[in-house]
Amino acid sequence: MRIAAIGLVPDLTLQLAKLAAMSAGGKVIASYSFSLTRSDIGYLENIQPDILLFSGGTDGGNSRYVLENARKLAASSLSCPVIYAGNRAAAEEVVDLMPAKEVIVTENLMPEVGQVNLEPAREKIRDLFLKRIVSGRGLSEIVDLFGTPPQPTPLAVFELISAIPQYQTDWSDLAAIDIGGANTDFYSNTESYLETDTVILKGIREPKVKRTVEGDLGLRVSAHSLADSGWAYLEERLKGLGLEVERLRKHLDKIALDLDYLPQSEEETLFDRLLAETCVYYAALRHSGGWRETYTPQGRVYVQTGKDLRRVKAIVGSGGFLAASGSAETMRRPLQKLRTYGQERKLLPEKPLFYADRQYLFSLLGNLVGKYPKEATALAVALLENLKDED
Amino acid sequence: MNQENRSNQKLEFRNMDQDTIILGVIGADCHSVGNKILELFFTAEGFKVLNLGVMVSQQEFINAAIETNAKAIFVSSLYGHGDIDCQGFRDLCLEKVLDRILLYVGGNLVVGKTPFEIVEEKFKKMGFDRVFPQTST
Ligand code: B12
Repeated sequence: MRIAAIGLVPDLTLQLAKLAAMSAGGKVIASYSFSLTRSDIGYLENIQPDILLFSGGTDGGNSRYVLENARKLAASSLSCPVIYAGNRAAAEEVVDLMPAKEVIVTENLMPEVGQVNLEPAREKIRDLFLKRIVSGRGLSEIVDLFGTPPQPTPLAVFELISAIPQYQTDWSDLAAIDIGGANTDFYSNTESYLETDTVILKGIREPKVKRTVEGDLGLRVSAHSLADSGWAYLEERLKGLGLEVERLRKHLDKIALDLDYLPQSEEETLFDRLLAETCVYYAALRHSGGWRETYTPQGRVYVQTGKDLRRVKAIVGSGGFLAASGSAETMRRPLQKLRTYGQERKLLPEKPLFYADRQYLFSLLGNLVGKYPKEATALAVALLENLKDED
Repeated sequence: MNQENRSNQKLEFRNMDQDTIILGVIGADCHSVGNKILELFFTAEGFKVLNLGVMVSQQEFINAAIETNAKAIFVSSLYGHGDIDCQGFRDLCLEKVLDRILLYVGGNLVVGKTPFEIVEEKFKKMGFDRVFPQTST
C-alpha cells in the first residue's frame, strides 16, 4: 500500500502521519509538511498514491495549513481516497473543500501537542487496504470461506506483535526484523519512554507498538540503495574482513537485477550477510531513539528523543533473510556496533535473546490473531527457534 | 473555531475562549519550580496552557506554537544564559511564519546584577514583546 503522508510540523504531525501509515502496513512514498507546493501536487499526481493520509494541527489549533492544502488537493487530479486525521475543528470545512474526493474523516493523530493517537487512522487505512485487496484481486471467495479477508504480511505481523505480549506473558517486550528484497521492516512492542527524574523526553512519545519500513534497505531490488544509504557500515566491515570493494560492487550489480538470485560461493554468502547486517544497522538506527547527556548540578540528565528499546528481551528474525539464515550474529553485531551513534547513546535492547521464525509463520499466524488470539500467539512463540551464537 | 486572529499584535488576554499559550524554560536550564507555578497560574486564569517543561529549544517552542495556533509563547530563563538562548528567537518565528505570535520572557535573564532596564531593552531588541524581572528572591 503506497501512502502519501501530509502533516504540519515535520517533528510532530508529519512524523505521526508517517508512523500511522507504516503501522498500518503501508509504505510512505511521499511526505510533506507545511504548505504543498505546485510541484508537490504535480509529483503526487504523477505517482498516484493508494491513500493520502492528511493531518495537521491540534484539535482547535492550527487550521490554516490543512484548509490551504485541502484547496490545493481538491484542484488536483489525485484520485485516491483521503484520510483526514488533522485538527478536528477544521474537518467539516476540509470535507466541504474537496467535494469530488473521497474523504474519510477520523480522529486527530495529535489532539494535543505530545498526545499521540494513531489507532483510529490506522484502522481506517487498514480498512481501505483490505477492501482494495479483496476487490482488486478477486479474493471474495476466500473471504466467504474464512469470514475475514486475508491480511497482507506487514499488517498481519503487526497484529501478531501487538497480541503476543497480551496473551503470552513471558514475551512482554519484543521486536522483530524482516529483511526482504525491497524493504526492511522493524517492529517493536515495548513502552517507549520510562519517566524518571534524570530522563527528559523531547518530541513525541512514540506508540508502544510500532512498525517502521525502510524502502531503501533490501537485499535485492534495493541492493544499490542499500549500499548508498549504508556505505559507512559496509565499508568498515569490508575493511575489517579484508574484502575488496570492487567485488562487492559486482555482486550488487548481479543481485539487483536477478531478484531470485541465491549466493553461489562462500564469498557471495558472506556478502549477502554483510548486506543483511547493514539492513539491521540502519533499520534499527531509524526505529530506535537515543539519549544525549547534559550535566546539571543534580548530576547527569539525559535528553531522550524517539523510542526506548532497552527493555526488549527478544528479537525475532522473521521472514526473508533472517528467518532463512538463522544467524544471531547477523543481528547482534550491527546492534552492538550501533550502541553509540555520533553524540547519542542509542536506546537498543540491552540483553536480547535472538530468535528465528524459521518457517515464516508470523504473517500466517497474524491472520488468525483476530479470531484465535490465544492459540495463534502460543503457536507463534512455540515455533520460534532460539538462536545460539555461532562465533 | 480558532481561526487565525490577525487583527492586531497587541492582543490583550481578556477573552476567555481558551487561547493557547505555550510555556517552557529555554536552553539547558533545569529550574522547574517557577515554570510549574506559571502553569498553575495561567490555567487558573482560564488559558489553555501547553507546558513544555524545562530544557526547551527554540524549535520545540515554535513547533508546538504552530500546531496549536498559540497566541503567545512565555519563555523562562533562570540560570543566567537567557540572552544567549533567546538570540534569534523572533527571527526563527518569522521564518516559520509565526508572524503574529506574542513573545514574553521572564526570570533571571542575565548573569549578575544588571539593572532591569538594560535587560529589558536587550530582550526587546531581540523581538520580545514584554520582559519580566524575577519576582521571587
Ligand atoms: C532552586 C534553585 C536551583 C535548583 C533547581 C531545582 C529545580 N528542579 O528547579 C538547582 C540546585 C538544580 C539549581 C541549579 C542551578 N542554578 Co539555581 N537556583 C535555584 C534558586 C535557589 C531558586 C529558584 C526557584 O525555584 N525560585 C522560585 C520560583 C517560583 O521563582 P522563579 O524561578 O524565579 O520564577 C518566577 C519568576 O521569575 C517569574 N517568571 C519566570 N519565568 C517567567 C516568564 C515569564 C514570561 C513571566 C511573565 C514570568 C516569569 O515567575 C515565576 C513564578 O513566580 C535560585 C535563586 C533564587 N532565589 O531565585 C537559583 C538561581 C536561579 N540558580 C542559579 C544558578 C547559577 C544555577 C546553576 C547554574 C548553578 C551551577 N553553577 O551549576 C545551576 C543551573 C542548572 C541548570 N542547568 O539549570 C543562579 C542564576 C544566576 C543568574 N541568572 O545570574 C540563581 C539566581 C542563584 C544565584 N543567585 O546565583 N538551582
